[in-house]
Amino acid sequence: MPPLLSVERLNKYFAGLAALKDVSFEVEEGQICGLIGPNGAGKTTLFSIIAGSVSPSSGMITYSGKDVTRWKSFQAVRAGVARTHQITRPFRSMTTRQNVEVGLHFGHGSAGGNRSGEVTEILEGVGLGRVADKPAASLCVGDQKRLELARTLAAKPKLLLCDEVCSGLTDTEMNEVLELLRRIRERGTTILYVEHNMRAIMSTCDQVIVLNFGQKLTEGPPLKIQNDPAVIEAYLGKTAAD
Amino acid sequence: MTAASVRMRRFLIYRVAGWGTLLIALGILPWFGISPNLTRLLFTSLIWIITSVAWNLLGGFAGQVSFGFAVFYGLGAYTAAMRISAGIPPLAAFAIAGLVAAIASLLIGLPTFRLRGPYFAIATIGVSEAMRVVMTNLSFTGGASGYRVAEPGPFRPLEHYYTALGFTAMAVVISALIHHSKFGLSLQAVREDQEAAADIGVNPLKAKLIVHLLAATLTGIAGGVYARYAAYIHPQGVFGFHTSVAILLMPIIGGAGTVAGPVIGGFVYGLVQEELVAAFPQFHLLLYGALLIVIILFEPQGVVGWLGQLRSFIERIWRKSAAASVG
Amino acid sequence: MDAADFANLLVSALLLAGIYAAMSVGMTIVYGVMKIVNLAHAGFLMLGAYFVLELYESWNVDPLAGSLLAFPVFLLAGMLVHWLLVKRIPVSDQPTLASLLLMFGLWLVLQNIGYLVWGNSDRSILTTRTLSSLHVGPITIPTVRLMVFIPAVCSLLLLEFVLRKTWYGRAVRALMQNRYAGRLAGIPVEKMARLTFGVGIGFAGAAGGLLAQLYSFSPDFGHGFLLRSFVIIVLGGLESFWGAAAGALVLALVETFSILVLPAGYQPAIAFSLLVLALILLPGGIAGIFAKKQRWA
Repeated sequence: MPPLLSVERLNKYFAGLAALKDVSFEVEEGQICGLIGPNGAGKTTLFSIIAGSVSPSSGMITYSGKDVTRWKSFQAVRAGVARTHQITRPFRSMTTRQNVEVGLHFGHGSAGGNRSGEVTEILEGVGLGRVADKPAASLCVGDQKRLELARTLAAKPKLLLCDEVCSGLTDTEMNEVLELLRRIRERGTTILYVEHNMRAIMSTCDQVIVLNFGQKLTEGPPLKIQNDPAVIEAYLGKTAAD
Repeated sequence: MTAASVRMRRFLIYRVAGWGTLLIALGILPWFGISPNLTRLLFTSLIWIITSVAWNLLGGFAGQVSFGFAVFYGLGAYTAAMRISAGIPPLAAFAIAGLVAAIASLLIGLPTFRLRGPYFAIATIGVSEAMRVVMTNLSFTGGASGYRVAEPGPFRPLEHYYTALGFTAMAVVISALIHHSKFGLSLQAVREDQEAAADIGVNPLKAKLIVHLLAATLTGIAGGVYARYAAYIHPQGVFGFHTSVAILLMPIIGGAGTVAGPVIGGFVYGLVQEELVAAFPQFHLLLYGALLIVIILFEPQGVVGWLGQLRSFIERIWRKSAAASVG
Repeated sequence: MDAADFANLLVSALLLAGIYAAMSVGMTIVYGVMKIVNLAHAGFLMLGAYFVLELYESWNVDPLAGSLLAFPVFLLAGMLVHWLLVKRIPVSDQPTLASLLLMFGLWLVLQNIGYLVWGNSDRSILTTRTLSSLHVGPITIPTVRLMVFIPAVCSLLLLEFVLRKTWYGRAVRALMQNRYAGRLAGIPVEKMARLTFGVGIGFAGAAGGLLAQLYSFSPDFGHGFLLRSFVIIVLGGLESFWGAAAGALVLALVETFSILVLPAGYQPAIAFSLLVLALILLPGGIAGIFAKKQRWA
C-alpha cells in the first residue's frame, strides 16, 4: 500500500535563507508520526507547506497518490489534511460552538447528518461542553488549545497536522490531550505531530522524524531515536547541556 | 427537539413577525394619505437602507471595510437612467443596473481582495475616486454636467415608494438569510481570521467575492431606483466620496454585523439627513464623525449594541423588582 | 517639447516632490511606530492651512513663519488627540480597521468643524511672492514654490538628523523595526507613541501651511493630498523615511509629466490609479507588513 503522505526533496527558501533543505519522508496511514527538532529546525514551515498555507521553493508532496505540492489551504482541508496552530487562533467574537461549526460545514466530507448533535459530540469529546456557548475570546489558554483541536477535528481530517498542542498545558491537561490523540488515531485518522515535549512524543508516536537546521537528521521508532548519538548531540544533548 | 432549538425557533418567529409587521405598516401607510414631503422622506430613507444593508454584507458580516460603494451606486444610477431613457421598462433597467454593478464588483474585488483589512479599505478609496474622475470626463454620459432621465408619463411618487420598499424588503431578507446560513458563518470566520478560516476549509477569496457581488448588486439597484426618482444625476453626487462615506457610516452606526443595525442606521441617516442637511449641512456629518469615534472606542455594535445594553439593564431592574415583590 | 520645456517640467516636479515628502512624512512616521493609517492627517493638513491663513490675515504673520509656528502648536494638538482617543484602541503590530475608522471619524469631525468655522468658500493666501518668479537661464521658477520647497526639505533633513542622532530618534527607529523588542529594551512605548503622534500631526500642520501658499483651499482641502500621501508612503514601502522621499519624487514626476499625454480632466485620477496599482503590484513595499490578523474593533 502506498503511504498516505509522501514528501520528496522539499526545499524552502525565505529571502535566500534555507528553511528546509532536501527533506524527504513518508507517513503511513494510521500512524502517529512525531516531528521533532530544535527551535528553528523548520518544523512549522514544513507544516505550513503540507497544509497549503505556504508554497515550497521546490520538491513534491503526494497525498493519497495525488500531487498536492501547491494546493491552497482550503483545498487541503477539503481533501482531508488539516492543521492546528501552535499559537491558537480562535474566531474570537464567535462562540466555541460556532468556531467548531465552521470546521464542520466547510471541512472534509461536510454534508448532511445531524450537525448540531455532531458539534456537541466533538465539544464533549475534547472537554469543552461547559463553555460551548461562551465567546471564544473568553476561554482560558488550555481551553483555547482544545478549541483549536476541536475546530480542526470538526473538519474530519484523514491526516491531522498537530502543532504543539501540549505547550503551555499542565501535566494533567497534557495527558488528557495525548489520550485524545490516541483515540483520534483509533478512529482511523493519521497524525503528524510536532512537539517540543519529549515525553509527549515518546509516549504517543509510532515513528519519529528528526529535523535539524532544515534537514532531516534521522527517523525511526521512538526508542531508536532516543538512543541515536546524532540526535542526542543535535537535540537532546543540547537540551541536557542547557 | 431540544430546549435550545425550541427557544431558537421561537426567537426566529418573533423576528420574522416583527419584520413582517414593519413591512405591512410601511405598505399600508400611504392609504392614510401621507404628505408628499413624508413620501419623499420615506423614499430616501428606504434607498439609504438598501445601500446600508448591502454594505453591511461585506463590511459587517465579512469585515471588509470598503470606502468605494459609490462606484456601484453611481454605476447603477447611470445604467438605469440611460436604459430608462432608451425606453426599457424600469424594472428591467434596475436589473441591468444591478448586473453592471455586479460585474464591476468582480473587476474591483479580484485584485483588491488580495489586500488585507486597512489596505483593502485604502485601495477602495483610490478606485472610487478614479471612477468619479473618469465619469466627470466621459462625454457620452454627459460628463460633469450630469445626465437627465427622459421618462415619459407623469411623476407618480407612490410607485417610486413601493419600488423602494420592495427592494428594501429584498435586501433585508437576503441579509437575514445570509446571517443565519452556513455562508454567513464562513463570512464571520473570514472577518475574524482569514488564514485560520482557510485552515479549516473556507475559501476566503470566493466568500468575499460572492458577498461583494451581492452587495454591489443591491447597491446598484438602489442607485437605479434613486436615479429614476431624481430624474437627474451627476458624477459629484452619485459617484461622490460623500456617498461612499454615507454608505459606510450608516451600518457602522446602526450596528455592523447585525441584521437590524444597518436598517436602523439607514433610516436614521435618511431622516436626519433630509431634515438637517438643508438647515445645517455640516452639523450632520460632524455628528456622524463623533458618533463613529464613540462607537469605535466603546461599542462596536453601534445603536444595536446600545439597545442590547439598555434591554439587559431594564431586564435586570425588572428581575430585581419582581424578586422584591415576590419576597 | 524642447530641452527648456523639459528642464522646466523637471524643476517643477522636483519642487513639488519636496512639499509632497514633507506632507507625507507625518503619516509615515505615525504608521511606522504605531501601525495606524492616519486618515485624520487630511484634517490636520486643512487646519494647518487655516492656521497660517488666520495668522496672516489677523496679525500679518508671514505664511512661512506661520508654517514654522504651526509645528509646535500641532505637535501639542497631536499629543492631546493621542491622549484623548488614540491610546484607547488596542495596540497592535498590524494596522487595524478600528484605528483606521477612528481616524476617519476624527477627520470627519475636523473637516466639518472647518465648514462650521470657515464656510465652504475657497480661500487662498496671497503674498508679494505669489506672482513673482526667478529666471535661471531658460528655466522659470515661481518664487513661492522655491520658498516652500526650502523649508520643506530643511524640515525633512532636521527630522532625519533627529532620527539618526538623538535618543528619541533611535527609540523611534527601534520601535519601527520591532515594537516588542523595543519595549523589552526599556523604551517607554506609550510615551513614545504620544510624542510620535504629536510629531506626525506637527508635520501635517506645517505641511498644510506650506501647501496653503501654493493652492487655494477649503475645509475639504486635505482630501486630494491625503490620497497622494497614501500613494507616496505605499510606493516608499510604508515605513521607510527615504522611501517616502523617493515615493514623493515618483508621484511628482508622474503627475508633472503626465500633462504631456493625458487630458487635463483626467489629471486627478493619476494619484488614485497609482495608489491602487502600487498597493496591488508592489508587494515588495508592503508584503512584509500585510496583516496576519485583522479585527473589527
